[in-house]
Amino acid sequence: MKRQLGALGLAIAALGTMAVTTANASGGDEKVTLTVGLMQDLDSPNPTAGYLVSAYELWNLQYATLTDKAADDFATEPGLAESWEPSNDGLTYTYTLREGLKWSDGEPLTADDVAWTINTSRDQEWINHAATTANLDAKVIDDRTVEITTSVPDPKLPTMDVYILPKHIWEEQAAGDITTYAADDGVGSGPFTLQQWNPGQDWTMVANPNFWRGEPKFDQIVFRVFTEGSAMVAALRSGEIDFVHDVPSEQFEGLSGEDGIETVIGQQGGFSELAMNGMAGGIGDGHPALQDLVVRHAIAKAIDRQALVDRVLLGQGEVNPILGVSPDSVWFPEIPEADQLNYDPEGAAKLLDDAGYLDTDGDGTREMPGGGEPLQFRYAQLSDSDTAGPNQELITGWLQQIGIATEVTTYDQTQLTDVIASGEYDLFVWGWTPFVDPDPMLSYFTCAQVTTDAASPGYNDANWCSDEYDALYEQQNQELDRATRIDLVHQMLTLFHNESTYVVLYHDADTQAYRTDRFTGWVRQPKDVGPVLFTNTSPSYWNLTPVDGGGDDGGTSTGLIIAIVAGAVLVLGGVVFFAARGRRQQDDKE
Amino acid sequence: MRRRFVIGKILGALSTLVFVVVFNFFLFRVVNDDPINSMFRGRNLTPEQLERLRVKFNLDGSKWEQFVAYVQQLLHGDLGYSLKSSRPVSTVIAEAIWPTVLLVGTSTLLAMLGIALGYRAGWRRGSSFDAAATSVSMLTYSMPEYWIGMVALGVFAAGLGWFPVGGLNDPGSTATGIERLLDQLHHMILPATVLAVAYIGEYMIVARSAMIDTSREDYLQLARAKGLREADVRKRHAQPNALLPVVSLSAINFGFVLSGAIAVESIFSWPGIGQQIQFAISGPDFPMLQGLFLLISAAVILANLAADLLYGYLDPRVAGR
Repeated sequence: MKRQLGALGLAIAALGTMAVTTANASGGDEKVTLTVGLMQDLDSPNPTAGYLVSAYELWNLQYATLTDKAADDFATEPGLAESWEPSNDGLTYTYTLREGLKWSDGEPLTADDVAWTINTSRDQEWINHAATTANLDAKVIDDRTVEITTSVPDPKLPTMDVYILPKHIWEEQAAGDITTYAADDGVGSGPFTLQQWNPGQDWTMVANPNFWRGEPKFDQIVFRVFTEGSAMVAALRSGEIDFVHDVPSEQFEGLSGEDGIETVIGQQGGFSELAMNGMAGGIGDGHPALQDLVVRHAIAKAIDRQALVDRVLLGQGEVNPILGVSPDSVWFPEIPEADQLNYDPEGAAKLLDDAGYLDTDGDGTREMPGGGEPLQFRYAQLSDSDTAGPNQELITGWLQQIGIATEVTTYDQTQLTDVIASGEYDLFVWGWTPFVDPDPMLSYFTCAQVTTDAASPGYNDANWCSDEYDALYEQQNQELDRATRIDLVHQMLTLFHNESTYVVLYHDADTQAYRTDRFTGWVRQPKDVGPVLFTNTSPSYWNLTPVDGGGDDGGTSTGLIIAIVAGAVLVLGGVVFFAARGRRQQDDKE
Repeated sequence: MRRRFVIGKILGALSTLVFVVVFNFFLFRVVNDDPINSMFRGRNLTPEQLERLRVKFNLDGSKWEQFVAYVQQLLHGDLGYSLKSSRPVSTVIAEAIWPTVLLVGTSTLLAMLGIALGYRAGWRRGSSFDAAATSVSMLTYSMPEYWIGMVALGVFAAGLGWFPVGGLNDPGSTATGIERLLDQLHHMILPATVLAVAYIGEYMIVARSAMIDTSREDYLQLARAKGLREADVRKRHAQPNALLPVVSLSAINFGFVLSGAIAVESIFSWPGIGQQIQFAISGPDFPMLQGLFLLISAAVILANLAADLLYGYLDPRVAGR
């Protein structure tokens, strides 16, 4: 027994010595770190393979773009290129790069990198590049000059917001299947570059001294992955992390009142909609009543959008009936008062009455004019969504009030995609998040995107098609005058709103929170309404300045860790010791 | 032990494994056969780009063709690429195994203290020790892991700040060797304790009832009559015979070590197998799910095989029959 106790004592003494040595060793190199908590791991640091929000944030930090976007309103600003000149026909732009640009590894960043990225991404159809570069051709004039020509008029130019990759690293990868490259080289041109990724745990990005705006004002960013929202919020409160992306809505209100914590409700144009099957693709079995504009208007008027924002989003969103085609509200038209399909259940019922949709058999559900099929719609919702259940309860209740019955089915995203592709649905609730330019979101509702073969579905998930909308789309797609283009987009969105094939339920928000005692200089993009991180170009990172005395991370020191471990060993040892002694006494007695 | 017994058990285990490979493949594809469209919804990709992704992830062609390709890959030790991260499934799993073995293995060992408690309680049935140990075990056994975890997190991590709220290492730390291991231990104390508390009751209850059954046997009376001390009667005659149910429980639980602990790993953001299952299910990431389920099934099957063989050794009647 004495020998056992002696061993235990030795072990504790050894731990104690280690505590002192390690505590001393870790004293010197305190780095100023911004720690960001989020609920999503990185999928891939490779911009030709990844597609999650977390990966976009990494690329925004690691890869500067030829042109940048203003924090306030996404206006095109100089980036790697300090200036550009259009040709007379507007099809060619000549960009001049800044002087002395370098990659983070010290290699020069030249026009060759730019041209290589644009041309290779077009030829190989990289998933995050090709939508921008499909019609472009880039030519190197000299080290600092690159000429980009588009084969069709492109109103997005001179904006050139694709990630420019270092040719000296990526050229070799592009020879094989570039999408399988691990992209752990950490060579970039943005403010921070990837140093290490521990999958499922965290990734660290370090300041790039060669960033064209100058070296960032702190050393590194750690992105930390959480799988439990309340644990993430607890870590913010205790100071283990400095920023939280996607605060669970039930925790958000509690945080917003707290000292030293600032909360942000950030709009980026993302929205949720109730979609109705327009059957334009000719496949499937959508309810015929939904092809009648009167019924679609009645459904829109039956929905109290303010109540959805208040009760489903707990106020963390915005009532806005316009299709969110961009985080920039300049593209959103004003709908005249008379055309707004605001909450009006009596009006909705009257619309249906007047059009002959009456409840002839007295079962509470209306029938088609002339007493045919009842107005009973299949309502599809997503399983992995916090808002699906509450939305469904309210919406189906409101529809019932105006004599429309529903039959609810819950699907996961893959199943719902299949159901929509097959056209075998009436109503569903889902959402979208737009790019900055409205063109992609507008394109999804053209006739070309209607699904005609379930095996290769298009993006037009309402199966709605309008020649007038398509004509406007073609015009805006090539209109180089911004004011005229804005006007065309307003016409399209007004038309889309009036057709009511989508009832936009609300524009949802990113809920974020940060500690005010660590960094200052948080920037919302767009101004006043956007989030502070995970925005389109996330300008906060190079604006942040550490607060004096905020260098301490608030985490536990190594010494304390060791003390706790030693304590645990002691307790465990004690338990074993007493158990052993107890047994011995027992044995002696019996 | 008879050779036929051993060979029979091994063949049984192998055929179960083959069944699992087939079943796993089709299970996930019955409900969802093509996740590519939903994964890239709103990404503005052309049909050609989507088709190329399907080819890359072996989602083109008929189910039968996909299955043949999958089995061929598997026979070459290739588990394919994760749909989500484009990384090899085997790499992702290899990274997740150590944290899970560390956490779940440690807590399973800790929970086996319950065996000693159970033996003691069963031997002195009706004593105050038995009453206390049984009621505490029933209490912890009936509390959900998730709930114990949330309470522990709220009190010891978020409240008192003694432990980090989650993770395996201090993020961004570059520590190596012993310092890194200590850091991992510090992160592990809370989740491992929670799991041990949740598991301990099961061991205690099984060991207790096995001991009660054994304590009624006539040969114990004989041993006492021979004049053996009570402690020796327990150690040499009662405990070995009360071992069988405990062995099978332990073996099965060790098989489940590799399947991680989804609830506790999730609460403590522990980068193990349980967390990977959680990530893979929301997708669904077929290649990851197939790889993970294969690993878990293989571990459970092997553990059961080990238990069977150990049974044959501990109780020759089983193998001889």
